[in-house]
Parts: sequence; C-alpha cells; structure tokens
Amino acid sequence: MPLLGSFCLLFALALALCCFVTGILATRRQDATGIRLGEIARRAGMASFIAVSGAALSLTWAALSNDFSVAYIFHHTNRVLPIPYKIAALWSGQEGSLLFWAWLLAGYGFVLRFRHKVDRKLTAMASIIIAAVQIFFLLIVNFAANPFGILDQVPADGAGLNQLLQYPEMVIHPPMLYLGYVGFSVPFAFALAALILRYPGEKWIHITRRWTMVTWLFLTCGIALGSHWAYAVLGWGGYWGWDPVENASLFPWLSGTAFLHSVMMQEKRGMMKIWNVWLIFITFMLTIVGTLLTRSGIISSVHAFAQSSIGAWFWWFLVVVLVVCSFVFFKQRDHLKPENTMESLASRESSFLFNNLLLLGACFTILCGTFFPILSEWVRGYKINVGPPFYNKVFIPVGLILLFLTAVGPLLAWRKTSMGSILRNFRVPAILALLTAIGLVAIGVRPLHDLATFFSWLSLTMAMMISATIASEFIRGGRVLQNKLGGTVFGGMYHLTRRNTRRYGGYIVHFGVAVLVIGIAGTAFNLEEEQPMALHAKLQVGRYTLINQSTTQDDTPRYESEAALLDVYKDGQYMTQLSPELRTYKPNDQPDHIVANHSTLQEDLYVVYEGRDSEGSPVIKAHVNRLVAWVWIGVWIVILGTGVALVPNAAQIKSPVTVAEVLAAKQFQPAGVGK
Amino acid sequence: MMKKIAQVTVMAVALILLTGADNSDAARYNKVGSKIMCTCSCGQMLLQCNHVGCPNSGPMVRQLQAGVQKFSSDEDILKWFRDNWGVTAVVEPASHGFELLAWLMPPGALALGFGIIILVVRNWRRRLVAVGMAGVPIDPQIEAFRSQARRETEI
Repeated sequence: MPLLGSFCLLFALALALCCFVTGILATRRQDATGIRLGEIARRAGMASFIAVSGAALSLTWAALSNDFSVAYIFHHTNRVLPIPYKIAALWSGQEGSLLFWAWLLAGYGFVLRFRHKVDRKLTAMASIIIAAVQIFFLLIVNFAANPFGILDQVPADGAGLNQLLQYPEMVIHPPMLYLGYVGFSVPFAFALAALILRYPGEKWIHITRRWTMVTWLFLTCGIALGSHWAYAVLGWGGYWGWDPVENASLFPWLSGTAFLHSVMMQEKRGMMKIWNVWLIFITFMLTIVGTLLTRSGIISSVHAFAQSSIGAWFWWFLVVVLVVCSFVFFKQRDHLKPENTMESLASRESSFLFNNLLLLGACFTILCGTFFPILSEWVRGYKINVGPPFYNKVFIPVGLILLFLTAVGPLLAWRKTSMGSILRNFRVPAILALLTAIGLVAIGVRPLHDLATFFSWLSLTMAMMISATIASEFIRGGRVLQNKLGGTVFGGMYHLTRRNTRRYGGYIVHFGVAVLVIGIAGTAFNLEEEQPMALHAKLQVGRYTLINQSTTQDDTPRYESEAALLDVYKDGQYMTQLSPELRTYKPNDQPDHIVANHSTLQEDLYVVYEGRDSEGSPVIKAHVNRLVAWVWIGVWIVILGTGVALVPNAAQIKSPVTVAEVLAAKQFQPAGVGK
Repeated sequence: MMKKIAQVTVMAVALILLTGADNSDAARYNKVGSKIMCTCSCGQMLLQCNHVGCPNSGPMVRQLQAGVQKFSSDEDILKWFRDNWGVTAVVEPASHGFELLAWLMPPGALALGFGIIILVVRNWRRRLVAVGMAGVPIDPQIEAFRSQARRETEI
C-alpha cells in the first residue's frame, strides 16, 4: 500500500504538470490542435483527482490495516483506535493533512473541469491556475512531507492519536475547514483567469458566486465546529481563545465575507472591479498564510504541528502568487475600469464599502496580533505575546461598528438615500434598540461595571437593532406581496424569499449573526468557582449547588479515568446529576478532561474534573456560562440563511397589470428594481 | 417624534452613567489575571489553566493575589510578572515603547482606509458634478412613484 500510495502521488504530480503545460500550449493555439491539447489538459487534470484519491485511500487503508511500517501511521494511530479516528488520521498529522489538502484541491479541480461547458475558455484558464496550485501541493507531499515514509523496523503498535483529537467533531471539523480553505482556490483561479483573458463582463463572478458561498459555508461550519470542540474538549470553559491557528481560520473568513458583499457592487453597478479582484487574491493568499501558520511552527499554538522546513515552501509560494497576481494586474489593469461611480455616502454602495473596510480592518487587527510576536522578535530580540485582552479591546469595537452597519445597510437604497428615508426606515429599529438598552440596565446590567460588560450591553443592543431591521424588511416586503397575492403576511414573506433568495437568505445570515452575538455577549456575565471536593462536600456557583456523591475509577484498553458523581441543585431544587471525568490516555500518558455540561438557553453549567489535590480530594471547577447555546443556534441560522441564498430564485409571480402601469413602467425604470 | 427620541436617549445615557465601575480586589484579580499567561507551556491563560499538576499556575496565582494587595496600579502588577516570569508571561502589549505599535496599527489602518474612502468618494462626486450628472432636479413623476412605493410598503 505505501508503494502504491507513493506511485499515485508521483503520477498525480505528472498529471498536474501535464494539465498545466498542455493547458498553456492550448491557449496559444486557436486551431484544432489547440482544442485537442485543451482536452488533454482537462482530462489530465481530472485524472489527477483519481491519482490523489488513490494516494489518500492507500494511506487510509494503511491506517485501517494497522500498517505501522508507514511512519505516519505509526505516529498517528494504534491498534485500539476506533475506526472513525483511524480514518481521521488522514488529516491528523502534517503529512497526511497536506495530502488531504491536495486531494480536496484535486476534487475541486475535478468538478471545475467536469463542468467546463459553463464557459470553456474561462474554465480552461482557471483549470491551468488550479493545476499550478496542485503542482505546488503535490511537490510538497512528494518531496518535503511524504506521508508514505517507511520505518526501518516495524513496531508492534503505534503511538496513537492525540487524545484531544479523539472526539466525534474532530472527525468533521478539519475536513470542513479544509474544504473552506481549499475552496477559495476556485474563485481565485477564475478571477485570475478572467483578468489574464481580459474577460468581458462579470461572468467570472456569476460562475463563482455559488462556489464562493459554498466555500464560505464550509469555512463557517469548520470554524464553528472547532469552537464547539474547544468548548466541549479543552475544558477551560470558553469556545474562542484567540489562538494563532484559530485566528488563521478567521483571516480568509473575514476577507471572504468582504468579497461576498463587494461582488454585489460589481454585479449591480459595475463598480469595485479592482477591489474585488484583489480581495479574492488576498483571500487565497490568506488561506496560504493560515496553512503556513499551522505547518511551519513559527508561532506557538495548541494546534500547530511541529517545527518543520515546510514553512519555507509556503513563503516561496506566497511570493510567487503575489508576483504573478501583481504582474497580471498591472498588465491588464485598464480592463478593470468601473462603469459607475459612487454618488453619495448615504447609499447602499457606501455601506458595502465601509463594511469592506471594517471587515478588512478586523482581519488586519487579527493579523497584527498574530504576527506581532514575530515582529517583536525581529525588532527587540524577544517575543511579546499577544492574547485575548488585546483582541477584546481592539477587535470588539471594530465588530460593534460592523454590527451597526449590518443594521443600517439594508435600509439604504442603491445610488442615493435621502435623510428622510433613513430616519423613516430606521425609526422602529432605533426605538427597539433603545428600549433594549434601557431594559438591560433595568434588569441589572451595569454597562460601566467594566469594559466587557459595556461591550456586551452594546452588542445586545446592536443585535436587537439588526433583528428589528431584518424583521421590518421581511414584514414590509411580505405585506406588499400579501396585498398583491392575498393570503397571510407570512405567505407573502415566503414568496418574497423565494423570489430573491440571495437577498433574503443574506438577511437570514445577518439575523444568525445577531443571534450569535447575543451568545457571545453572555461571556461578560460568566461565573466560575473551583475547590477540592471531598465526599459530600458542596460547591456553590451562582444559583447552583454541587454536592459530591462519589468518585469512580475506570481502566479501558485506551485510557484510565477518574470521575466525580455530582448532584446538582438549582435554588435548592434538585436538577440533575453530572459526572466530569479526567482521562489519562495510555500510549502517551497524556491527560484529557471530559467536561460535564448541562446546557439551557439561559446558561450552561460546565463542570470540569481538574485532578486531585495533595489530600487526594478531586478538584472540581464549575463555570456558569451565560447564553452560550445562542452561539450554536446563531451558527445554525447562518447555515440556514446561506442554504436559502444558494437556492435559485423562483420564477416571477405574474399578476394582472393595468395599461397605465405598463405605460408608466416604460417611462420610468427605478434603479435597483428586482435586485 | 425626534424630540421625544432625543429625550429618551438623554435619560437612558443618564441612567447608565449613574451606574459605577467595579474596582474591587476580586475584579482587579480577574482583570489582571486575564492578561497573564501560564508559563508552563500549556498555552492557556493563567486563570484558565487546567493543566493537571501544573508547576507554575499555582505559584503565579498566589503571586497575583499578593500583587493585587500590594500594588495600586494594574500596570505595576504586570510589570512585576514581566520582570519575574519573563515578558512572554503577559499577553497584553504594554501601552508604551515598541509595544505601543501593536495598539496603534489597527486603528491607524482603519483611519487610513476611512480617509481614503472619503477622498475617493469626494473625487467621484466632483467628477460627476463636472459632467453635470449630480444635482439633477428630481422628476416629479419619479417622486410620485417613490411616494406611492413608500405608502404601500410602510409598516
């Protein structure tokens, strides 16, 4: 199997090279030979997916069959590892995850080349660019990080998988994240191809719209799953630690979100062409920066793989991508002249522009914090760590302004909005937001207690403002269709959404973000207590009382464990029993906390077995984490909204129109109609 | 209506300002503790370190408790930790010297971006005025359509 895997990888490299070279040759000839060469390139590109699949399956098979002659399998699996985690071993280590990356890229390339009839010329050029990226990754897995390295002596058993990764979400989280990272290669390839070919119109944007949204959705799911995993497994009580690798996943997410918004300006007004092209170039480069962070070991992180020479490959690749993009841009920049210009700062265009500025500003903030340790080491000779306090102070204000813009943006018209219109449309959301702010103070929230409470108070107010704006948009549109078609306002809202899935799906995504913000805002009101708990000892945290009823120990082939059995009372009433656990995994003697969590919409009671104190009593740490469930609900709404936005629009509803209306419509076509 | 909204806003702000900030030792302990990292290489914040048998977090927490009592300024506590546990123990850059750069770069970039947008939009508007497209009087028929749309879509 290792031999077959190695052969498949080499063959895939040869096929990707063939796709790249014959593809370039095909673009230089306009005759029948050019067409034949183009077809060879396309088929070679598709075959490269089959070859990389062969390599990925070989490695998976080696894991399933306990082939410890393969160094990678020895380091990341063992005999007692359950089958799903053996499969997950494919992306659990450096070499395997790079192979997985190359496989997904080849998969995306396969779909792109398979659907070449969408636009043969543009797809052929995009295929060449994808092939170039494939060559880079295949060079790495063949020559710098080969997953099929063989050990001199075959050990009886493997070292096992990192116990933190032995969690169901870890089987899904990396593939989702990688699908998101790798997926941005496709819009990048189309953008570069369109620029190289001086392709007229916005066809590349139309072709890549769904690619980008699906990719963004995968990345969103990947980030959310990672957060949930951190919350459920790491046992420190939170879901986002501003770890460099967590940050790395946010870079392309933020710039990708900016891109998803700004392409609308190009589609509807023919503006921001240079900006959009560079935004997708930057997003792709940020996915590479993210990979560089995880692979090179330049920044210490709980996620990062060991220090390796892979980093140099990625630095060079980044330089090449930047040079190629810059060269093509400067050569073809006259092709990107805008068809329209902005007429007013109070317009939808302007809100998109500021939204882009803030999203990129947020991205830059995180980049600054993540790379500041490296910068300080260059300048001062030692690393200055940058952690959550920095991000909370710098990122959150940017996020709050962005939330305000999310609330205001949908109320602005394209081209120009009068002040009267803004005030009229914004009246209800503003009043509701104000009432929320006052209501929060009335129920005991003290905004000036500390910065975290102030931010939470403001976030909750903004979340209400966004929700009210979106609700008013749905209700207003729903009523119009209700008057036209009859039925209920909800029926009108349904038809409205079906007629413009992208717009109203987008609103649902915004609502999901507002709900997610409610969950995040709860962080400021969290409580925690820690103490040794001998038998029948009590621990009080907020309204909860925990009583230690017993402790148990267990010994399985994979781990030894200790657990405490805790009766939980809320306001003196028995509520439930929780059993936090501490496992020590055998192959590497590493401890792992199995958190006991009782989750409600109001708060989570999150209990961790920390270990034993000097007298042998279990040390229990209990957190009351407010509103956390809303974070996950918000993510589900975001997923739902993106799903709606991906559905094609329904046909326009036909209704009788008077002659006067037709004549009037001929004379006047309002801007933004049907958008 | 606007007057009423303004009055309510002023009342709301006054209500909020009546609430005071918390400067108790417990609040300072949590605030300063959230800026210090456990140095046992577990990669966790000091107050969140759940590393079993951690050799560093226990002493560091006790020193933090003592520091809150001893120093009146949070910055002095952080300086003590930098001096005794190394600069990497504190995860919030200082607000002076080279570390100030970390605080200035993000708002600086945002301000620069904001300025560029304003300049670009002004430039565009100026060009529109030059070609006679801006400031065109609104067609009464269009305005009538707008009014009708507004009436029909009002909540």
